[in-house]
Amino acid sequence: MQGGIFVTGAGILSAIGKNKQETLGALRERRTGIGPLRYLNTSHTEFPVGEVQWSNEEMCRILQIPDTAVTTRTSLMGLIAAREALDQAALPDKRAPRVALISGTTVGGMDKSEQYYLDFLENDTRNAYIAAHDCGACTEMIADYFGIFSTVETLSTACSSAANAILLGAMLLREGRVDAAVVGGCECITKFHLNGFNTLMILDREPCKPFDACRAGLNLGEGAAYLVLETAASARRRGVTPLCRLSGAANTSDAFHQTASSPDGEGAYQSMAGALAAAGLAPEEIDYINAHGTGTVNNDLSEGIAIQRVFGPRIPPVSSTKAFTGHTTSAAGGVEAVISILALRENFIPANLRFSNPIQELAFTPATGDEAVGTLRHVLSNSFGFGGNNTSLLFSKIE
Amino acid sequence: MQKDIYIRAACQISAQPPLSEEWLDAPVRYSEPYVRAMDPDYKRYLEPNVARRLGKLLKRAVLTARRVMEASGVACPDAIITGTGLGCIENTGVFLNALVREGEELLKPTSFMQSTHNTISSLIAIDARCHGYNSTYAHKGISFECALLDGYLQLKAGEASTVLVGAHDEMTPEYFVLLKRAGYLGGAPGGFGGETAVSMMLGRQRAGSLCRLRGVEIAYRPSADEAGRILNGLLQASRCSLDAVDAVMIGTNGHPRNDAVYAEMCPVLFPGKPLLRYKHLFGESYTAPGLGVYAAATVLHRQRIPGHLFVHAPGEAPRNIHNILFYNQFEGKNHSFILLSSCGE
Repeated sequence: MQGGIFVTGAGILSAIGKNKQETLGALRERRTGIGPLRYLNTSHTEFPVGEVQWSNEEMCRILQIPDTAVTTRTSLMGLIAAREALDQAALPDKRAPRVALISGTTVGGMDKSEQYYLDFLENDTRNAYIAAHDCGACTEMIADYFGIFSTVETLSTACSSAANAILLGAMLLREGRVDAAVVGGCECITKFHLNGFNTLMILDREPCKPFDACRAGLNLGEGAAYLVLETAASARRRGVTPLCRLSGAANTSDAFHQTASSPDGEGAYQSMAGALAAAGLAPEEIDYINAHGTGTVNNDLSEGIAIQRVFGPRIPPVSSTKAFTGHTTSAAGGVEAVISILALRENFIPANLRFSNPIQELAFTPATGDEAVGTLRHVLSNSFGFGGNNTSLLFSKIE
Repeated sequence: MQKDIYIRAACQISAQPPLSEEWLDAPVRYSEPYVRAMDPDYKRYLEPNVARRLGKLLKRAVLTARRVMEASGVACPDAIITGTGLGCIENTGVFLNALVREGEELLKPTSFMQSTHNTISSLIAIDARCHGYNSTYAHKGISFECALLDGYLQLKAGEASTVLVGAHDEMTPEYFVLLKRAGYLGGAPGGFGGETAVSMMLGRQRAGSLCRLRGVEIAYRPSADEAGRILNGLLQASRCSLDAVDAVMIGTNGHPRNDAVYAEMCPVLFPGKPLLRYKHLFGESYTAPGLGVYAAATVLHRQRIPGHLFVHAPGEAPRNIHNILFYNQFEGKNHSFILLSSCGE
């Protein structure tokens, strides 16, 4: 086994599945998770969403948490995905001395805050949820359920939060700070950001169409996903089999606008080029790009231009899986990392659903899912956040 | 390659006079439970359109960032990293209040656009046109230390040679009420809820720097033994002994629940060491430790510890200040140790 950072566990929960197996099935069979609102209590029922098909009460039961406990939807989803990742990596059964939990979120406990805010201001009945509001509280709920973490941190870079948690985990491992790191993110849909995105007029009233000329915005999704990262030495010592390598990562800033991407996709260009450089790979070695591809007019054009700048005339298959899951915002970097790893291990290209009209300004069209790809060796995953927080991750087969 | 890491410059806006070190000799004292930062006259420092467009938190962040970039001669740092416990809560509060009071039909995008935690780091990058590494940590009372640790590791790993690290939290009257209800603020007279805006530049250049940053450790729910081992590891890696530490700066704030943890941990971790404080000057906020590290760096630079910083009046103040250990804990769960040394060390 080579040196570097290995993925020894993965867990995922989204609108298309409650674990890796269900997620893989949905991707293979092209079953979208986008549908009418069911769990969020909002007046904006006109927007299709990608909700996790469990109520909070059901998640509490699965986790054997009493429903009187102070929980948030974000942390419950995080717990379920983290448990799947830990189980696969045989943690804590095959012990690692120092394990970090690094989780990305932005809404944190906002689902409860928007429900109880007037109580927060006027009386003492919901004080426990004031303390559960912030991002760190959400991560600590996950940490305390398992009780095995010696380092606990929370990243909040909007829609690249989980991707940056993965990047930080790799840094902590390389610097010898921890022996294993559970990294990723979680985020539920809230009225707060559904309405926020609505005021920005970037929500599609139909199921979204990433990389289509007629795309009209994004669909919000929700979910959680975590990877277990560790060094080769740790995986060997614990006797666990790695799924793949995290071969490269880069975080850059578009430095353009608080809510819009630059016309030349400079930040996206630099994050993809940076991840390739970190991995020591040439563009033509990349077999698949899981794009950020939100379905907004602005993102898909900017990202498409950046992809062309990095890959020139030889663009590998590109797809956005947000047409399956919706945009899971802070969790997206984790959700799409797990999807990228599934594609890498199973040697298939997830389809870019609902594409029919090429974007005129772009020289490529997204993958249909029917591509004959042979063996996938290297997969690139993009996650871009508000404010231009761009991160690209590269996953590679273990040779 | 020069491996040592320095805090090259730092700048604050807080309950003390802004953009200055007046607090050393003429600290402003407060007896009220809630104190907002003393804002400078932004019109003097920021372009009118910037000053008009941004809320207070963002104005403070942009101004302190610009000042340390200028002071350290760095036009565009390789990395920009912010710690913020609550992010842009003023804008969040505006949008949330409109949502819960007026419903979902009449909302406006302005406050939402600047409500995410990463607005601060992104705005600094947009302002200085920096395409480098950009990140934000939001983890309650150790948000700043997470950011500082990342910056320290970026430098140590050779990924960056200049890193701008910030600690930024505002406190709206509304959120003060909430945090009081939650039991975090307002526990006793003597401490106050405050606001934090501090930027600092990390780099490798010793000349003109405030102090050396020797190491950063964070830990989650360590036992007292584990905390001791982490501290020893930090000191050993820095080739520094506890004997060589001149003083320990801690986060006592007058709140019984908070101060009890220090009362329990300090005699075990650093028996007999002079203890310094900073929250009597700057108040309590999730990223107040950023101001503590700034204060310790300033003391090392000036080579003088003013009497009001001592938790207990010292027999004799140390003459040459070589090493200051910074120790923070939040609710007994999150702990951090930071070792700072004078540039000569």
